[in-house]
Amino acid sequence: MSRWQKIKTVATFEFLSAVKRPGYLIATFGMPLFMAAYGGVVAIPAYYAEKGSRAPTVFGVVDEADVLRLSGDLNAGSRSQIPEDMRQALEAAGQAQALDRAIASDNFVFRPLATADEARAALADRRLKGFFVIPKDYMQEGLLDSYSPDSFNVTGSDSREALADLLRQRLVERQVDPALSARILKPIQRTRRFAVTPTGEIRDGGSAASIVRFALPLIFMVLFLLSVLMTSGYLMQGTATEKENKVVDVLLASANPDQILAGKLLGLGGAGLLQIAVWLTMLMGTGLGIVPMLMSTRVDVPWLALSIAIPFFVVAFLFFGGLMLGTGSLGTNMREAQQLAMVWSLTAAVPLMMMAVLIREPNGTIAKVMTWIPFTAGPVVVLRASNDATLLAWWEIAGSLLVLLVATWIALRVGARLFRIGLLSAGARPSLMEIVRQARLSA
Amino acid sequence: MTHGAPGARWFVRERSVTSPVVIFDGIEKSYGQTVALRGVSFDVNGSEIFGLLGPNGAGKSTLIRILMDIIRADRGRVMVFGEPRRREHLDRLGYLPEERGLYTKLAVIDVMTYFGALKGLSRAEARRRSLAWLERVELPHVASWKVDRLSKGMSQKVQIASILLSDPEVCVLDEPTTGLDPVNVQLVQDLLLERRRNGRTTILSTHHMNQVEALCDRVALINQGQLMVYGGVDEVRRHYSLPEVRVHARGPLPQVAAVARVTEEGAGSWRLLLSNGTPPHEVLAALVASGATVDRFEPLLAPMEDIFVRVVREGRA
Repeated sequence: MSRWQKIKTVATFEFLSAVKRPGYLIATFGMPLFMAAYGGVVAIPAYYAEKGSRAPTVFGVVDEADVLRLSGDLNAGSRSQIPEDMRQALEAAGQAQALDRAIASDNFVFRPLATADEARAALADRRLKGFFVIPKDYMQEGLLDSYSPDSFNVTGSDSREALADLLRQRLVERQVDPALSARILKPIQRTRRFAVTPTGEIRDGGSAASIVRFALPLIFMVLFLLSVLMTSGYLMQGTATEKENKVVDVLLASANPDQILAGKLLGLGGAGLLQIAVWLTMLMGTGLGIVPMLMSTRVDVPWLALSIAIPFFVVAFLFFGGLMLGTGSLGTNMREAQQLAMVWSLTAAVPLMMMAVLIREPNGTIAKVMTWIPFTAGPVVVLRASNDATLLAWWEIAGSLLVLLVATWIALRVGARLFRIGLLSAGARPSLMEIVRQARLSA
Repeated sequence: MTHGAPGARWFVRERSVTSPVVIFDGIEKSYGQTVALRGVSFDVNGSEIFGLLGPNGAGKSTLIRILMDIIRADRGRVMVFGEPRRREHLDRLGYLPEERGLYTKLAVIDVMTYFGALKGLSRAEARRRSLAWLERVELPHVASWKVDRLSKGMSQKVQIASILLSDPEVCVLDEPTTGLDPVNVQLVQDLLLERRRNGRTTILSTHHMNQVEALCDRVALINQGQLMVYGGVDEVRRHYSLPEVRVHARGPLPQVAAVARVTEEGAGSWRLLLSNGTPPHEVLAALVASGATVDRFEPLLAPMEDIFVRVVREGRA
């Protein structure tokens, strides 16, 4: 029986054993349903709260300085909480209105009142959310009096901002013509963005175009980390089960430790990846609108990054899996195994933790160094290729993949030796000296 | 090849009739300061049931694990099927370890199919043979059961069937009948005898000496990591026996030369201690020549149990 047939046999067995477990099925299909149910429970009160927030919030204004000159209730209008870049991206995708509906916005109405006493009486009756007094010396001092109920109030600063906008508008309108007034109040109404390639070509550089360039490495890193963490759990559990069930000798009398290790990585790794794929599919299918957004937007797809993402993902996954399984198998129980393997989980998370630095300087020294380190190569190369493929040399991609492949081969060999030692050591965890001695013997 | 470690007090040379399928040559193994095996050398022939004997901690399991390439020897070599043992040979070897179990949360048929597939069978063939073997061990109804539903005896038989379903040319069984009732012990013994008839080799590690006498062609007894006894079961038993015969005869037993002592056991039975070096057939001839009517004449062999205890005690002394 060939080496690959053994690996395939182990992988098939491990995969089928894992996916048939009730725990796996519950986690795979139950988790999204649970999240949906949880989301529903949270969303219902949030919906009514949001509906309530759309009703205008009335604040009184006692304008002793006669700056606003209000003749009746003035609606200050909605103040969008969506950042400009995101709004542009969503507008390009035709999704701005949908998001406007989904995200709460303020709606303040300012009501003129003659005296502070009248306003205080209205607030005491809770006919107002609060009121402001603009004193006579406002123009000299810039001082404003704010009154609110003696209860918890979160709309104070927002209402002050809305009043400040209104004050600014009225003060400027008196002095200059409407066009200049509009520019002073909002110097940049919109920004058109362009990107210039190294060949001088001008491309759409808007947020909508670059959203995939940003999202791809982020998705890669999150999925990678999730896969490593999910699969490590299955790997630890599988090895602990074999120790408990005393099938270790039968397995080792039938296949090499490295064949068992590779089969477990493929089988249990496949089960872990399948679980994540199911979750992703269900998430995308439940209306985040990612697909329609991408379809309706002129996005700049980073094809190079997409094409190298899969090989880098698979090799880096095997690299970490080999290390985690080898190290984890030295543990005498599940808890100890997970503690031993924890160091690799943390290492796998390093690129995600350094995401801000890497995005700011995708071709800086840190990113270039991390390209050649097997622990970080996968996510960093994908990020650099996604950002600007022209600044990433082909030899950097090939060299990085080669380094990762060699490191993976070493990790699997070392992992297999540790795996054999771990499997054979029932009871106490072997000492470092014993591990070195056994590793030399099994060479 | 020289058998037995230097200093071994008991040495029995085997009479090989078939070529060896397994050769242990000067195997040494230590765990830290503890020496498990000290230059153990012996052969296992084809188509035989070979008893690997020894007290607890003697080094039997270590030797078996070295044969199965689970652990490596510090020194010495293992030959299998006439060539140095390679991982590829594992498909032709079977192993039922002493510390054994099954995947408790899986169905019996799935576990058996997996073990068969690991030995090179296709999944379909492994499944077909698994069902057939469950019939053989009288457990056809447990195929779809979860393993943790099996009784200890059932689990034991499923484990044996899992190992034998790939029909390995050499199979090592470490205490295969522990925990089985007499009916099932007989069932397993029949399976081993059938394997021998089919030209398969079985290395049987057991503490049940009656099984050794009933099943084994040859034995190796290891004590404190050294080979102490090695050879055919009858040869070993003769070697450790006093020169005694039992005679069933009608009428009084005539006195003959070369008999040092006669003990009457009653009901026409006598036990004769022969003088040193006297072949039993000469005594029989002398009895018949003296007019005795001999109904039955048998050399008395020492039980394996006594030999085992004697060798181990002498080793400790």
